[in-house]
Amino acid sequence: MEKYEKLLNMLMHFNDSIRFAAVCNTDGDIVWNSQRKGIKNIVPLDETKQTIVRVIEAWAQNSNLENYVGSGLYSIASYEKIKRITVPLADGNLLFISVNNPQTKNSKTKSYGQIAEMGKILSIVDFIKSQK
Amino acid sequence: MSRYEKLLNMLMDFDGSVEFAVISDTTGEILWNSSRSNLKLKVPLAETKKILKRESSDWIDRCKAEDRLGLGRALYHITSFQKIKQVTIPVDAFHLLYIVVNNEPMAKSKMKSYGRLVEMGKIMSIVDFVNTFE
Repeated sequence: MEKYEKLLNMLMHFNDSIRFAAVCNTDGDIVWNSQRKGIKNIVPLDETKQTIVRVIEAWAQNSNLENYVGSGLYSIASYEKIKRITVPLADGNLLFISVNNPQTKNSKTKSYGQIAEMGKILSIVDFIKSQK
Repeated sequence: MSRYEKLLNMLMDFDGSVEFAVISDTTGEILWNSSRSNLKLKVPLAETKKILKRESSDWIDRCKAEDRLGLGRALYHITSFQKIKQVTIPVDAFHLLYIVVNNEPMAKSKMKSYGRLVEMGKIMSIVDFVNTFE
């Protein structure tokens, strides 16, 4: 199994709130993707592709900051219903994940959604990177 | 004191890890800013201005997307680096909040650390609170 396919499988198994995961190349083309069964995309695939192209441009610009703040780890765009997460991979590839962002029930204060477990997601990415 | 200045003051008081906070307009021009005393900014101001231009443009797209795609309100955007997190939040239709937060991993972490948690719930609460003022 190709390592990025394995990455998507591990991510989908790790967290049920992940709706859609994709690995894209430097041109923004989706080379692997995984969609949770029974879940319909909120965002049409064409719109997601446009987002991915913009994010790749943003990460290219972010590389100018590496000397000041270290390498880029991830980005999260949070909406009331979903979070859209990107993680730069090796060779300019990009991981894109769409995650449910349900409001916390029984919260005394206003909820702005749930925490994306980025530590665990990045651990999985690092584990896959370490594989030959 | 304008409510935007009040917002910056509250954010700097709330969390010692907030290093720099800015209110910009929708073109990315800096209108107000606050940096922590005795702390040198890690990112040069010229680079910050470039980031703000891009983030402002991206936020226009995100806000269009929330209506067009039914994603609900666009809340915030985080870009995490090894040493800092950059957070942007639309304050209202004409202003963007940009915060730089220290992301140096805590010492004594048993596992590999990817930095610190940003308390977005509290930050969003402060933004919403300040927005209740005229």
